[in-house]
Amino acid sequence: MHNYRYTLKTLFKNRMMIFWTFAFPIILGTLFHLAFSNLEESEQLNTMPIAIVDNMEFQSNEALVSAFTAMSDETSEDPLFTIQYVDEEKAKALLKDEEIIGYVFVDASTHVMIKNNGVEQTVFKLICEEIIQSNEMINTMIEEKMAQVGNMHITDPTAMIEQIKQDVMERMQEETSYLNDTSSEHMSYVVIEFYTLIAMACLYGGMLGMFAVNCKLANMSHHGKRVAVSPTAKGKLIFTSVLAGYTAQLVGIALLFAFLVGVLHIDFGDNLPLITLLALVGSFAGLTIGIAIATLVKSNENMKAGIFIALTMLGCFLSGMMGVTMKYVVDTNLPFVNRINPAGLITDGFYALYYYETLDRYTMDMIALLLFSFVMIFISMFQLRRQRYDSI
Amino acid sequence: MEPVIEVKNLTKEYKKLKAVNDLSFEVQKGEILGLLGPNGSGKSTTINCILSLLKFSKGSIRIFGQEMKPNAYDIKRKIGVVFQEVAVFDELSVYDNIDYFCGLYVKDKKQRRQYIEDAIQLVGLEDFKKFLPKQLSGGLLRRLNIACGIAHKPSLIFLDEPTVAVDPQSRNNILDGIKTLRDQGATIVYTTHYMEEVELLCDRVIIIDKGQILASGTNDELKALANMEEKVTIETKHLRKEQFDYLQSLPNVLEATYQAHQLVIVYRQGNHNLSHLMEYFKQEQIQYDRMYSQRPTLNDVFLKLTGKELRD
Repeated sequence: MHNYRYTLKTLFKNRMMIFWTFAFPIILGTLFHLAFSNLEESEQLNTMPIAIVDNMEFQSNEALVSAFTAMSDETSEDPLFTIQYVDEEKAKALLKDEEIIGYVFVDASTHVMIKNNGVEQTVFKLICEEIIQSNEMINTMIEEKMAQVGNMHITDPTAMIEQIKQDVMERMQEETSYLNDTSSEHMSYVVIEFYTLIAMACLYGGMLGMFAVNCKLANMSHHGKRVAVSPTAKGKLIFTSVLAGYTAQLVGIALLFAFLVGVLHIDFGDNLPLITLLALVGSFAGLTIGIAIATLVKSNENMKAGIFIALTMLGCFLSGMMGVTMKYVVDTNLPFVNRINPAGLITDGFYALYYYETLDRYTMDMIALLLFSFVMIFISMFQLRRQRYDSI
Repeated sequence: MEPVIEVKNLTKEYKKLKAVNDLSFEVQKGEILGLLGPNGSGKSTTINCILSLLKFSKGSIRIFGQEMKPNAYDIKRKIGVVFQEVAVFDELSVYDNIDYFCGLYVKDKKQRRQYIEDAIQLVGLEDFKKFLPKQLSGGLLRRLNIACGIAHKPSLIFLDEPTVAVDPQSRNNILDGIKTLRDQGATIVYTTHYMEEVELLCDRVIIIDKGQILASGTNDELKALANMEEKVTIETKHLRKEQFDYLQSLPNVLEATYQAHQLVIVYRQGNHNLSHLMEYFKQEQIQYDRMYSQRPTLNDVFLKLTGKELRD
């Protein structure tokens, strides 16, 4: 308790720590709000004009036809797309003249073509990507079911195939309808910026852990030498220091949330307990990065802080902090990067909570974050367990 | 009586460099042992090995009769360490810094409060309790560093160059404090490259260079190794060669040099050397600016043993 109390006191009185972990995310949040509030008003997601190359391949893909039909239903209050069914040449021409934001072209696989990088284009690509993935999943399901049917003794195979088709199409309808619903109610791409901001705040909190641990390691700081010769067990000191770092980190996150929701009125949806849980796990991941840098990088505190900030900034950039398009580009071209990037995982977790009705993706992100944290701890343990050093 | 510290054949290697080479010594209860040597001689490495901070290649270390290990908490409880580098928290006040480090040893709050007050008094920081470290001068900061290391009233104290870069007033205060600790019964290991401090404080001295013990003993025992009694220095520009040759040939003179208008004569024995010299200079009408006599110092011993100055 003694070490916990004083470590906490030290952290809260450290101006650099306070700035980076408490003040900086709030300042950045305010800037985002100022920068994006007008933008959001002027660029509310209106119905997006797109084209579909109306060929045999498209027509024979019932799932795609069904999904796009559902999302361009003119009878609904706020359809996502107005669709022109044209040939490929016409689609290219429409795109060139910017009469549409993009078009879908199906051959052996499904292609999404856009001309510019913009918010609508990004949203269009994200949605198409989602439909394509679901479509592929459904195709796989059909193939599996058909294989099962082939192995079974069925009295009426035609009825069975029809039933499978029916099931699958219902699934497809569900997928598109929730996309339709959530987009029309909440869709605010600006919120993604705030997700990355929270992700950044969670990770920046790791600096507190880094500072708290750094001054308990004899090979890293003069304070550490002094602490190491005391009769208090190293494990106990490290644990209470990490706990103090985590406590301070959570205070910072709580302040940020209070500011975003209470002052900037950012709508994070209805899943507050799950959002909190993700922030807790995200902060823990940040903390473990801080511990790993504290134990592995043999340099002064400023250098460590610099490395930490650079790494987390890079993570946030790749997860879409400086533009949502980056998230899409990384997810599409280098998907593994955001599967090991804690900022990407936190952002994606919030995104999943916001846009999906099921918790599958959210759970996967949580598991990946926990795995990442345990890997960081495992790496750090090699250094933390050492009692005597080769040099100090 | 069992020694407080017993170091046997301690060797610490950094790749091919032997920072500490087969060092053996003991420290007896209640004494102040000085480890004297130039920078990089292996003093701090020896201390860090004794404190179980550094791995060592060979040897054994026993403190209070027990083997010293990183988890020897019973031993550590009785040890206080003041490292060469100031290690205090910039965010905490003078009082809180001492309380934090003392609290790692003493759990009882009431007892700790008393200990902190004693430590503050010992180093003379009564007027600075609420100050932050950045508000203190270098000397006061060193005093705080000491207070943090000894507040828990240890019976064995390691002081690693505690007066480096300290103003004379703070140095005197620190040295007085160390004497007080010795008077209170603490055993002290004091490393420094300031020979004056060793002569003033230490009961016994070990001279170290390149990780090896060159000599050890009391101040007088070590000075005897210099094989000299007195050194007289005369600043003059008017000494002729035949006069210098005459002085060099006097029976008690061990060595004489005349460089940069400074004549230095080292005597084996020390009876009336200065008065005889003054008489000769008067008789020969040699003008001089200053003439003074010095007893041998540990620096002379170090010079004799290594051929170089202690602060080279």
